[in-house]
Amino acid sequence: MSKQRITFSPVTRLSGLLSVDVMVDKGKIVEANASGTMFRGYEWLMCGRHVTDGVYMTQRVCGICSLAHGAIASYLLDELYDNELSENAQYLRNIMLAADFIQNHIRHFYVFSLPDFVKMPDYPPFEGQNLKDARLNPEDNKRLVEHYFLAIKAAQQSHQILALFGGKAPHQHSFIHGGVAVAPTVDKMTQAQALITDIGEFVKQCMIPDTELIARVYNDYFKIGVTPRNLLSFGLFKFGVKNEKTLWRSGVLAGNQITQPEARLIHENISRAWYQEDDDLEFRCSKLKPDPYKPEAYSWIKSALYGGGHFEGGPLARMIINGWVNGGTGTMDRIYARSLETLMITKLMEKWLGKLKPGPAPLNQKKIPVKSKVTAMTDAMRGPLFHYAHVEKEEVVQYDIITPTVWNFSPKDQHDNRGPVENALVGTEIPKPDMLYTILGRIIRSFDPCIACATHVLDVKENIKAEVLI
Amino acid sequence: MKREAFTKLCHHVSLQGDTGLSKKILPVVQAYRTKQQCKKLPVIWIETNCSGDNNIAFMNTADPYVGEVFKAIIDLLYSNTFMAAQGKDALKLLNEAAKRYKHQFTLVVEGAIPIKDNGIYNVIARTENYRLTALEAVKWLGPLAKYVVALGTCGSFGGATAGRPNITGSVGVRDVLEREVINVSGCPVNPDWFVGTLSHLLMYGKPELDDLGRPVLFYGYTVHKHCQRRSYFDNGDFAKKLGDSECMFSQGCMGPRTGADCPYRQWINHVSWPVKVNTPCIGCTNEDFPDGSSPFFVPLPEKAKKRETKKRMNNGEGDEA
Repeated sequence: MSKQRITFSPVTRLSGLLSVDVMVDKGKIVEANASGTMFRGYEWLMCGRHVTDGVYMTQRVCGICSLAHGAIASYLLDELYDNELSENAQYLRNIMLAADFIQNHIRHFYVFSLPDFVKMPDYPPFEGQNLKDARLNPEDNKRLVEHYFLAIKAAQQSHQILALFGGKAPHQHSFIHGGVAVAPTVDKMTQAQALITDIGEFVKQCMIPDTELIARVYNDYFKIGVTPRNLLSFGLFKFGVKNEKTLWRSGVLAGNQITQPEARLIHENISRAWYQEDDDLEFRCSKLKPDPYKPEAYSWIKSALYGGGHFEGGPLARMIINGWVNGGTGTMDRIYARSLETLMITKLMEKWLGKLKPGPAPLNQKKIPVKSKVTAMTDAMRGPLFHYAHVEKEEVVQYDIITPTVWNFSPKDQHDNRGPVENALVGTEIPKPDMLYTILGRIIRSFDPCIACATHVLDVKENIKAEVLI
Repeated sequence: MKREAFTKLCHHVSLQGDTGLSKKILPVVQAYRTKQQCKKLPVIWIETNCSGDNNIAFMNTADPYVGEVFKAIIDLLYSNTFMAAQGKDALKLLNEAAKRYKHQFTLVVEGAIPIKDNGIYNVIARTENYRLTALEAVKWLGPLAKYVVALGTCGSFGGATAGRPNITGSVGVRDVLEREVINVSGCPVNPDWFVGTLSHLLMYGKPELDDLGRPVLFYGYTVHKHCQRRSYFDNGDFAKKLGDSECMFSQGCMGPRTGADCPYRQWINHVSWPVKVNTPCIGCTNEDFPDGSSPFFVPLPEKAKKRETKKRMNNGEGDEA
């Protein structure tokens, strides 16, 4: 039988809208096109706004990782205004960011990924699950379903910590440039301590053993969905008066070489994305404009390239780059790393809460910008995140965002090189046709896709790159 | 089926000594469950152009938690975020739900609807030869629904997605449907507002709505009216900077013209809200959010002035780019 093109859409249980087209030939995936199907044009939205609006505005790029955008926009403004951060501000910021990471990871593992491996109860929204290759024994299956519902509470508690200090979640309010606007008082610290103890117990008692069980029962998935081990992290958890230290190191891993990421080596490519160069400057904020009818394109996600190559980001990349894990880059490696990272972050948060001192709001915002062009780089939940702002009189002339999903779900570049997800899919064997969705779902979700984040136009052009300072 | 008859049936089947028990009982149980499920609110939830923050906000509901909402309040028949089904299996469920629950289901639309270029900027699902845009999906499902709920400020009024220059031509659900839309705005929504609205629909029908189509019980008073810092405002005691404990009006607070019950409801298990963490309310439930609230940290009377000045400057220097 000849090749067959199959559209897998909608890829449910993720943030945003994703479709994946695969070509299947003799029981094997021979080509894959991952297609982000939503476009909001956030960089245009940022254009012309007061630059300090950036923290609240860019959080609204993404619902599940909002504070990652809030944090990086704050780092960017800290540099723009030359702020100095008190020790309390540093701890409090990282406690809040950790809370958002933990809710993301718990929700991803249980709400999004678990139904790929566990038979869910037969009522909405779990009806019609059509899970092929369910391998857990009934007792284990039942326990993991119960944990799904416990996880909902654990993730909610993590956002409760974020709201205690940040006023609300998603889109918290107090983590802004110059520090944090809320006073860390002993009542809030005690509440947060109690909540993280509960969450930590859940992670230790449920999430880690559940991950281990799934990894054991589905251990062939260490060999399925393998990527080329080109990994990228911009580092995580900034400390220091000027955000100059990063607790978890950044790195570019290609082959056995780890180098430090440099903004000037980040390139983008629109060969297969629905954009075109815009000479008529219809939209003054970007040299690109959307072109939804471009024939060779198949995604709103652009290709992000580092030194001309595709790179993968996320918990696994962070674990390997930091030397904590030395395994492969398969589907189960990615799932495992995310759970392991959740445990590590709960412990860090407990430690930081111990270091935080009760006191007034640790906030000191300077008023006069010392630069006009600033870049900030850090890791978000799913991988490397990049913000760039060009500012005149505190007004945004240009604002660029490169999100982790742009790396992971990158469409092909001009040389037809595949991004990490497409690479992970190609070569996968589909033993029976009715197993296709199950297998695709498992591989794709291990990257924790977030299409809401991914589909914005980025415009880090050569001429701008030359001016980017890091 | 009454309890006695059910017991009799179980007894009768067990006496036959064969394996037919579950075959005979299951349809009864299923019929009972179907009946029970009819008592829940059937919901079709479409995600369109938005950050996905409202489904996260929904997951932050506490008492009832999401699991309890699924078990007791709604039958979530289609949801990109939560459904176990995927690919064409998911689309099949959508089709079936729209037919089976015609004029009974509640359509929840999370996000704005791009209308420029026939809505091509948001495709909620594709097949090998067809793209289902958010615009088409909402126009298809809207007239079939008993209630339409626009979830979040993007869904209600366009929100951040439709902020200037709005290059995708995004609008709120009310602008693409010729019918009443219940707007549960917020960026994101407070889960209480959403779960509360669903519960109201289930138990008492449509709640009383304000002139923006929002349930009065959540949006009926301004933030300012119930603000804990109102006495500071009345005494002219304004914060000098963010992080201060006085009135945030000086720091850009939109409370005086924002309908929402944040000061007393608060967020995530009712622990806090933006003014409590010494920052302004940015009016995220408003029809003109975010443009009407920006610059966020400039006092309310000056916001419009700043925007106006800039507009004039931009017009005057039209070819500066």
